[in-house]
Amino acid sequence: MTYSQPQTDAAQGRLEFRSVTKRYGPTVALSEFTHDFAPGRVHALMGKNGSGKSTLIKLLAGVTEPTSGTISVNGKDQSFTSPHDAFDAGIVTVHQELSLVPELSVGENIFLGRLPHVRRAGFRVVDWKGLHRRATELLSDMGLSIDSRQPVSALSVGQQQVVEIVKAMSFNPSILLLDEPTSALASKEVKQLFALIERLRARGVTMIYITHRMSELFEIADTCTVIRDGHYIGAVEMRTTSPSEIVGMMFGAAARATRPPRQTIDRVKPLLEVRGLTRAGHFNDVSFDLYRGEILGIAGLLGSGRTELMRAIFGADRIDAGTVHLEGRSMTGATPSQMRAAGLGYTPENRKEVGLVQSLPTGDNLCMASLGPIARGGLISRRREQPFIDRQIADLHIKCGDPELPVSSLSGGNQQKVVIGKWLNTAPSVMFFDEPSRGVDVQAKRQIFDIIWQKASDGLSSIFVSTELEEVLEVADRILVMHHGNVVAEVDPTRTDLTQLYGLCMEGASQ
Amino acid sequence: MTLVSQSAEDRGQNVSLRLIKTYPMEIILAALVLFLILMAPGFASTANILNVLRTVAMLGIIAFGMTAVIISGEIDLSVGAGVALAGCIVAWFADAYTDAIGGWSAVILGFAVALTVGFSLGYLTGRFRQWFNVPTFITTLALFAALRGVANLITGGFPLSTFPAGFDFLGGGYLFGIPFPVYIFALTFAGMHFLMKYTSFGREVYAVGGNMEAARLSGIDIWKVKALTLGLTGALTAISGTLIASQIGAGTGTTATGMELDVIAAVIIGGTSLFGGKGRIWGTLIGVLFLGCISNGMTLMNVSEYWQYVVRGGIILGAVLLNQVLERVR
Repeated sequence: MTYSQPQTDAAQGRLEFRSVTKRYGPTVALSEFTHDFAPGRVHALMGKNGSGKSTLIKLLAGVTEPTSGTISVNGKDQSFTSPHDAFDAGIVTVHQELSLVPELSVGENIFLGRLPHVRRAGFRVVDWKGLHRRATELLSDMGLSIDSRQPVSALSVGQQQVVEIVKAMSFNPSILLLDEPTSALASKEVKQLFALIERLRARGVTMIYITHRMSELFEIADTCTVIRDGHYIGAVEMRTTSPSEIVGMMFGAAARATRPPRQTIDRVKPLLEVRGLTRAGHFNDVSFDLYRGEILGIAGLLGSGRTELMRAIFGADRIDAGTVHLEGRSMTGATPSQMRAAGLGYTPENRKEVGLVQSLPTGDNLCMASLGPIARGGLISRRREQPFIDRQIADLHIKCGDPELPVSSLSGGNQQKVVIGKWLNTAPSVMFFDEPSRGVDVQAKRQIFDIIWQKASDGLSSIFVSTELEEVLEVADRILVMHHGNVVAEVDPTRTDLTQLYGLCMEGASQ
Repeated sequence: MTLVSQSAEDRGQNVSLRLIKTYPMEIILAALVLFLILMAPGFASTANILNVLRTVAMLGIIAFGMTAVIISGEIDLSVGAGVALAGCIVAWFADAYTDAIGGWSAVILGFAVALTVGFSLGYLTGRFRQWFNVPTFITTLALFAALRGVANLITGGFPLSTFPAGFDFLGGGYLFGIPFPVYIFALTFAGMHFLMKYTSFGREVYAVGGNMEAARLSGIDIWKVKALTLGLTGALTAISGTLIASQIGAGTGTTATGMELDVIAAVIIGGTSLFGGKGRIWGTLIGVLFLGCISNGMTLMNVSEYWQYVVRGGIILGAVLLNQVLERVR
């Protein structure tokens, strides 16, 4: 294999979208997207979840094909039918999840699948010397002093991310897609990554940079392209724009949906008291109170520690310090089953993986957390379970046909309702809803919110978490903002707008 | 396709197709029995059928427990060695204590010890998985080797056969014309079927095997569930081991060599998924009957022992393939 030098060409690195549309069945993920990404610049791509951002990336990476429209790369019209086509056209993607093999050396990872060979005594063997020489060249070329012979597992996450980019660059792409490369990095590692991006920009590589961190945009990007509901909204120069302009473009005139009037919460005696809770590397010194009938929202980006906080309070993960009191009783270090007995329920964020047992019937899943109360003397039967199943199916409007069929046959929204129903069967006094609206359609989302409001008016206290900040503003009575594992602010949703909340989530309170 | 537009013939075809999809192993077992009745000399005789049931019983008692273990997402490779150990413990107690406390008391004491040892080893295997993250495959592989050694250490390498008079009834006797172990086998079947279907513990076994984390987050004590299924299987192994020692009239360290493979094979033939979460006690019943019939039938038809091994291997693979194909069709 030969490693060609970058060609020098006027159209090199130019990327054009002309009326690109992508439909998934009736859903339009990307609509008539037209934009010219100028060569040699760092283009930030911004948009909230479901805006069509990832569809755009998938089209560029050759994972899916556009329904109509043209993508032109380096001045040539392209129609990618596989990731390999995108590769050949000079587009390389660095995905959010690392794709390195931890046990293999840095050099081996860079040349994985195309190891250089030499002939020794008639046998074709791997040219380790040549491989590491070339890997070292590549690494030092990028200004990195990483030993090509050490295993990737010995590197920090930041260094691994950098190796991933070096690997991508070893293909000499003219366009590099970076999908949230900093999401797992500490700030020092981010600096190192940015130095590498600067270097690539100086060489004329066009980069599409996806991130949720506003501060990074102003540090590293040249322009910012905003996409919303599948439509191209606009592109701004970073030198002349402001964060609030970008947030405004991302969310548009976000209309507040109807919600029942907020109740006055009697904030005298807390139901759940959390004090100084810490789990090293996940969240630090978190304290808050939750009152009867209150819906407490927790806002924060992915990785801000919100899910980890809830898991730890529920007893699913160990805590390092701090205390938890539920209805006045100390529950610090309790197991999930003790927490359940004390009246706490938790619907996890990834219902498919850990919320449900997919191979079991809907009915079994609905009864899974309340086998104790359902069974009499350890004995159980469908007859005894039936009221528990029927009640939740009716109350939550679960569309499941036959509850004896595996829960995997239900739609996402209905599966989410089964997870909620499973916990409502335990008659909890406190519920944690972690991303209950993720991956469910609009109607099911409304129904789920209605359930939460309904139960709150009956006295159920809940914590509500969503990546969609509009939803947190709509659903919650009070909002805690988490940033890098710390609670940085407490806000009143009636006196906060989206831009302020978004700013708090991204920058923390101090900035 | 709507029901109205179906002709009677179509419907008939659909019914038979559904039968094949729902009861594949039952149908294959029925076909096998029919074939053996016609082709294997002496298969259909009462004596032979009782003989098959007696062999099947020893295997099946353990296989029902193993079904629960595999549904919970674990495995136990030590049951063959466990059978030998239980037999040797009972034989050693009979040998050492008959003079002091009488033959039957010694046997009962030995059985109680064997039962406790069997349950504890299984239970601890489960806890080992929890405490040290040692897969049950490894722990029971170690036990597979070690328990046979212990069994031989107990007996000093020679068969111990000082049993009280009438002890041979347990494994070799008949009650109302049916071998005694068959009653234990039937009781175990009924008990395990009930446990898995009509108790909250059974539900928890399925949940733990189907999705460990989901079960844990539902407040189920997953490690207790796993440890108890393994302990239960250990206890059933001790029961089967005592019956076998009674049948052959001695406790020896070489009894039941390779039995773990037959037990696991029966469970798999019965449609239980090695990935956990799926399986039925009823299926395992079919699996043990199938294995019992096929090896008895081949012996009657003078198929060489070596070919019998090959056929058994083919059956295990075939049953799994059949289940995978049916899974896709369903």
